[in-house]
Amino acid sequence: MAAAITARAHGLSVLVLDEQPSAGGQIFRNIETLEATRNSEFIKLGKEYEFGSSLVRRFKKSGADYFSDRSVWQIDNNLQIHHVSTSASKSNSANSSHCQAKRLLLAVGAMERPMPLPGWTIPGVMPCTAADVLYKSSGFIPDGKVVLAGSGPLLLLIGCRLLDVGVHVSAFLDTSMNGALLKALPLLPNALRSHKYLTRGLSLLWKIRKAGIPFYSGIQNIEALGSSKLEKVRIRKSGKFFDVKADLLLLHNGVVPNVQITRNLGCEHRWYDVQRYWEPIVDDWGNTSVDHVSIAGDCGRVAGAAISEASGHLAALETVYQLGIISQTERDKLSRTHRIELAKHQHVRPFLDKLFQPSKKWLIPEDEKTLACRCEEVNVSEIRETVRMGIKDPDRLKSMTRCGMGYCQARMCGLTVSEIIAEENKVSPEEIGYFRVRSPIRPVTLGQVAEID
Amino acid sequence: MIKENAEVVVIGGGVIGVSLAYGMVKKGAKVILIDKVDNRLTASRGNFGLVWVQGKGKGMPRYVEWCIEATERWPEFAENLETETGFDLNYEKTGGLEICLGEEEHQERINFIEEMSQSSKSGHYDCEMISRKELQSMLPKIKLGKEVSGASFCYHDGCVNPLNLLKAMNSSFQQKGGIYRPEQTVENIECSSNEFKIETGTHSFNAEKLVIAGGLMTTKLAKMVGMEVPVIPERGQILVTERTSRVFNYPTGEIRQNFDGSFMLGSSHEAVDYDTETSYEVLQKIAKRAIRILPNLKNLQLIRSWAALRVLTPDQKPVYLESDQCPGAYAITSHSGVSLASIHSSVVVEWIIEKKIPRGFTDFHPERFNVQEAI
Amino acid sequence: MFKKQYESHESVSIIFEGKKLDVEKGLTVASALLVCGEVVFRSSVVSGQPRAPYCMMGVCFECLIEIDGIPNQRACMAPVREAMKIKRQIKP
Repeated sequence: MAAAITARAHGLSVLVLDEQPSAGGQIFRNIETLEATRNSEFIKLGKEYEFGSSLVRRFKKSGADYFSDRSVWQIDNNLQIHHVSTSASKSNSANSSHCQAKRLLLAVGAMERPMPLPGWTIPGVMPCTAADVLYKSSGFIPDGKVVLAGSGPLLLLIGCRLLDVGVHVSAFLDTSMNGALLKALPLLPNALRSHKYLTRGLSLLWKIRKAGIPFYSGIQNIEALGSSKLEKVRIRKSGKFFDVKADLLLLHNGVVPNVQITRNLGCEHRWYDVQRYWEPIVDDWGNTSVDHVSIAGDCGRVAGAAISEASGHLAALETVYQLGIISQTERDKLSRTHRIELAKHQHVRPFLDKLFQPSKKWLIPEDEKTLACRCEEVNVSEIRETVRMGIKDPDRLKSMTRCGMGYCQARMCGLTVSEIIAEENKVSPEEIGYFRVRSPIRPVTLGQVAEID
Repeated sequence: MIKENAEVVVIGGGVIGVSLAYGMVKKGAKVILIDKVDNRLTASRGNFGLVWVQGKGKGMPRYVEWCIEATERWPEFAENLETETGFDLNYEKTGGLEICLGEEEHQERINFIEEMSQSSKSGHYDCEMISRKELQSMLPKIKLGKEVSGASFCYHDGCVNPLNLLKAMNSSFQQKGGIYRPEQTVENIECSSNEFKIETGTHSFNAEKLVIAGGLMTTKLAKMVGMEVPVIPERGQILVTERTSRVFNYPTGEIRQNFDGSFMLGSSHEAVDYDTETSYEVLQKIAKRAIRILPNLKNLQLIRSWAALRVLTPDQKPVYLESDQCPGAYAITSHSGVSLASIHSSVVVEWIIEKKIPRGFTDFHPERFNVQEAI
Repeated sequence: MFKKQYESHESVSIIFEGKKLDVEKGLTVASALLVCGEVVFRSSVVSGQPRAPYCMMGVCFECLIEIDGIPNQRACMAPVREAMKIKRQIKP
């Protein structure tokens, strides 16, 4: 939205293609409706949301063309963009359209890092943001007993929101690395400059403990159990097992950039080892290694709303400059306020990234019957066996196990696979790489591809 | 530099290399299989999995016989692999179709089949034209498009899961003591009187015999041991759909429904050098044709697509060659590695190990391309 | 698994597995079904395991369900519409 606003301010014609039904992305999901019809909840979400709401208003007034409910499925080398209706698939009401872009900005955001554990495919196990989506878009809250498991500020935040609305949280399973806080301390001086993030994080933790919720750390294993839906969560700690009854298990092991489209376009990526994910390689303006393609926001280094917004403005200024509308000097001058904003919020990032490093333990499930690939049901054991045949390349592994061939096209298993192959070969995932991401970026019917009525 | 010895070194871990290596360890030979990892060289992972006779070998009756013999050996070959490894190859020999749209295609196909049947030495071409009506009765669960005019049907044809085939052969090869060395790029080959020294960046392999089955790398590698084997890349793009109930029970050269219910759709033939990108134009072309043949496909979702490079000799028929300059070095290339896996792992292995030359094998010599001798 | 906090204003009628459900307008199919207590959306195509919505944001493709006769639609990305016919995809 920020990028569209800035691009429009300089007279560019802008088309925003959004898979979601309304503007706001993930953080400000359904914000317009929320403000209009559930105002008390909207206010509870805080000042950040008030700001988000005003951003949406400015976006709507900017003159950018906004197509919601549109999924991009193919991007040609010349930046012809093919898109279809997200929700309707009958080819006679949802033909593929295309538009020609001079420059492309990807602001497709992030997603939860998949947290594979035994039983994670049972109905009733979800990433914690799923509960957040339901809350923001529909006002629904979990019914029954909820177990929270994982680590990271988002889990704490969502946990607190649930408590605030009276949800019954039966246990909080902390999987953060032992001594994480100590490891992050060297980065503290920088971080203190944006201390409100820090104190906010610490107070969330305190709130949860104060509510008297059973809090477990040093956990060795978590298993979700149930026949057709979740019934209980089995925890192993200090060599002992115990079960907690649960209707909903909410997981979180960090947030990772959604690289599906940057991979599809052939952008170069690097492995960000601290947070264990792939990010597209960009310069200070969000330019990727592919001409005329830039990114902004959490689909690059994950850094939250404020930084995302600033990066959106900067990427737009760069686009305006690249299209010859402003000079480099003007671009640099206009970017100053955004650079200051970036700097303000970036100080705490190294500390937070280090504090909430995903622990190795939760990246590759120890229980080898755990499904790494949910779509094709390929478990960790099969992947390891296949790698031991001499396979180091993810695409080769894919051809031998079907891992990554399903509907989600490796969104849920890609990181796990990079980690397993790397571990088996005793190298960094940087050396292993990632699957090749082919078209279609999301499924489309053959009728839509053929563009027939 | 790691030094390793073997009786035979096979260069190339695609279907041809692996089927030869597999056949050789079964004969008790000590084999090292060297494989390069290059995601442009994926013919063995990027094919339709056809075990096919129809349409091949025009102008070379010996090759048609060769293909037929391969399909006759396939059922036992598949069964052995499945027993050895426990992997399912999903091999089916149902006969295969080539479906025609419109009268022109139909007539062209009629002429082609006629020609092939006439020139078949053994009289066993076993391919016939079938009418639209007959075709529809063979496919009771799915409606044919109105332009479908008929098809050719060949009794020898079948299909397999080519990915599982590659995996099974590699697995069985290793289980039987074969050594697999991936991530290798051959930099130099030296041949002396009774041995070959193959150097990669990390290893130096010594062997009495050398088999080059390097796909698109064959030309370069074969030259190192005095052989001229021209091959060029040709791109093919494939669409893969979501799974659906099995309704299409015969493979064709451009549509097949896999064992798991997904449809694979092709094909394209593009001279694009080493580019393995897919393109919107071709994907659309393939989708359009598939819908003309089976209109109900239009509501099926496309999940993924890929492109791979075929390995083609100038006449698209195989080369089986032993080097005159460096006897004991062999070069083998074919763009039908899947279909011929059964015969490669048996008859061709016997040629290499036991020097049993198959009848009419000189037909496969590359001198038929009129190339200059290697200097 | 999930419940409403308050009553909604506008509703639409959808048909789920042949029975009529009144659900709040503006919901996605996934949210609507979850709040009506419908948890299992499909059987996994590989083993037949029961599957339900997971990420709720369109990246995991777990919530696939048949909508108006077209199978394998992401329920979390499809807003409910009047008279929409929804069917689970369960392997017999």
